[in-house]
Amino acid sequence: MADQSQHKAVQTTGHAWDGDLQEFNNPLPRWWLWTFYATVVFAIVYWILYPAWPVGKTFTKGLATTTFVDADGKEVTTHWNTRAEFIRDMQSGEEALKQKAYLEKVAGASYEEILNDPDMMAFTQSLAKVLFADNCAACHGLGGTPAEVGNFPNLRDDAWLWGGSIERIEQTIRKGRLGYMPSFGKVLSDEDIEALANYVLSLSGHDVDKGLMARGDSLFHSEQAGCYYCHTNSGKGLYSQGSANLTDQVWTVADVNGAPTLAEKIERVKSVIRNGVQRRMPAWEGRLSDEEIKLLTVYVHGLGGGQ
Amino acid sequence: MAQGAVAADTQYDYDIVKKFAIMALVWGVLGMTAGTYIASELAFPFLNFDIAQITFGRLRPGHTTMVIFGFGGNALFATSYYVVQRTCQARLWGSGLANFTFWGWQAALVIGVLGYMNGITDGKEYAEFPWYVDILITLVWVAYFVVYVQTLRRRSQPHIYVANWFYLAFILATAILHIFRNLAVPVGLFHPESYSLYAGVQDAMVQWWYGHNAVGFFLTAAFLGMMYYFVPKQAGRPIYSYRLSIIHFWALSFMYMWVGGHHLHWTALPDWTSSLAAAFSILLLMPSWGGMINGIMTLSGAWEKLRTDPIMLFLITALSFYGMSTFEGPMMSLKSVNALSHYTDWTVGHVHSGALGWVAMITFGSFYHLIPRLWETRLWSTRLVYVHFWLATIGIVLYIAAMWVSGIGQGLMLRAFDDYGNLAYTFIESVQFMHWPLVVRALGGAFFVSGILLMCFNVYMTVRTAKQEQAALEGKIAAKVAQAGA
Repeated sequence: MADQSQHKAVQTTGHAWDGDLQEFNNPLPRWWLWTFYATVVFAIVYWILYPAWPVGKTFTKGLATTTFVDADGKEVTTHWNTRAEFIRDMQSGEEALKQKAYLEKVAGASYEEILNDPDMMAFTQSLAKVLFADNCAACHGLGGTPAEVGNFPNLRDDAWLWGGSIERIEQTIRKGRLGYMPSFGKVLSDEDIEALANYVLSLSGHDVDKGLMARGDSLFHSEQAGCYYCHTNSGKGLYSQGSANLTDQVWTVADVNGAPTLAEKIERVKSVIRNGVQRRMPAWEGRLSDEEIKLLTVYVHGLGGGQ
Repeated sequence: MAQGAVAADTQYDYDIVKKFAIMALVWGVLGMTAGTYIASELAFPFLNFDIAQITFGRLRPGHTTMVIFGFGGNALFATSYYVVQRTCQARLWGSGLANFTFWGWQAALVIGVLGYMNGITDGKEYAEFPWYVDILITLVWVAYFVVYVQTLRRRSQPHIYVANWFYLAFILATAILHIFRNLAVPVGLFHPESYSLYAGVQDAMVQWWYGHNAVGFFLTAAFLGMMYYFVPKQAGRPIYSYRLSIIHFWALSFMYMWVGGHHLHWTALPDWTSSLAAAFSILLLMPSWGGMINGIMTLSGAWEKLRTDPIMLFLITALSFYGMSTFEGPMMSLKSVNALSHYTDWTVGHVHSGALGWVAMITFGSFYHLIPRLWETRLWSTRLVYVHFWLATIGIVLYIAAMWVSGIGQGLMLRAFDDYGNLAYTFIESVQFMHWPLVVRALGGAFFVSGILLMCFNVYMTVRTAKQEQAALEGKIAAKVAQAGA
């Protein structure tokens, strides 16, 4: 150890372990010591200001306070605590006040007024976008288009299973929906189902086998299959039943548009007829506030070209 | 028996040290690979392949257990058994019991990790072991304590070297933590499930009292013990300040026990508990830094060693990361900072700057010093140590930087408001934002894993060379003896 010049003044403790392990006995670095004292001062101030030390069954409350309005509308001042801070923030925080002013305006306005007021519409877009993404997007997809055709309707197309008017959309969100079509796999023969699938595809302009189409047509309108009950004679469906319009190009259960060949399209429609449909959208009343449902209604209405 | 003429490997029990050292590397490779894999799953979820056993939720406790208790634990067993013998100049007491700590510890790890992958877990972070493994660990730990203390009592030195204080504090505190965190009533003799003795927020408080002190005593105090032996040994210089080591040892041991509550800010935990913990976390800053100062200042006057000795690079870099993360920790424990950082990747980054930067780097450095001495040879390649150093350092920097971006970014997004006082971003937008940082983080992990793989290769070649040299030497001696006989 030739390079100990700078430690000449410093003594080791005089012990040696494992041959050459030794310890200098340098004093504590000044900056270290003073910084440590500074943290002690910080801690003491912190403890004086905020709840800190347990004393028997209670604790030191600290000098800092929080003021908020309780459920009875009375102003309450309490020792600083995170719950009171949260309440205060939600009552009188800068952002909360901004939002509250808009929410009150929206709550007092009719749908028509909202739709015709650019400022309220901008607010609706901003809040409902987040509401939709946090509550609806898991099924309907971010922006209203589900990841794949099947369980959840696309909200961006112009087709509305349960109706696209403001009133119908609000009802859908509030009460939820139960989409149901019975399975015909055990009621009808394979040939019948084949014929029906051909007829159904003919409704949306597909060039199918004319013989099967004719047979499907009569089955569709017969008491045996009874398709027309829900899908109506013209095949356009009923909003009251949530039954699909079979004459447009929109498919929400079977991915008909994604099928490469006509034969494959027929197979996919057959599968729906065979297995039926069971879909459920939960009711959001009670989970979202009235204002939130109102905003979402306007938002969803705008997504798919509302009626 | 401590005659000067006796060779080190007969004077000391090196077998047990070798076994633990090898297993530390084995668990290190497994644990870090698992970590890199689950990091990749977060960036590319398809990597789950819909196999339950390798999903993030199952593999993550496997990763933490393998790196903390497998890599870290075995490294601590190895170095503590080495250091206590060298600094006491006494052979390890009770080789049978020491062997029990080895096999018991490996068994606990194997049973634990395979159990997690198959859904058997207590669900308590870093204490996921089911009750029967908890009992095994308790037995191992009592044996560890007995072996350690009995060896200390055999010492031929009047004073106990500072490294041993830290190791002993670690052994004692870990025993207390392990026992109280795992107090539970098993559902039945043949059921892996058990009911915790604590309920609700009290269980949460016990959890983080345990969790943070596992960081404090397992991942800090114990590795400071490692530092206090290997840094002055490798530097060939005395420890900077005996006084500082006493003060920061007691301050560290006293303060750490109070700070667990800072993991539960803004929760159902009473406010007084969490502000008490926050203030103690600030108080902990300088005691933590005491270890860093003592380590780094030991090298003062010999800085040129950093240019020529890659082992020293590992040790000093480890101390620097230790200093950085023990500064970051108290900052994050303040409620206002925590409101942003909690539940984000910032926490993950913070943990890894400690785990990779401090724990793993100090272990790598110590092992590069230790391995050649255990096998009485030289390192097979010093150049590979340099390569390992840079791979590890680049890996850590990528990792931490990515987590800062991801964590602080997400934290800011989730608290951003627009002109209408509405939240500006949805949760999923913050997740989408995290994609690229998560990719970079996985890349950082890959760098780190490639580093330890290189180290394993270097260690393997070192041991192989040592055995060849040994065989050659024995051959020569045999020839000489035969000659003399003839």
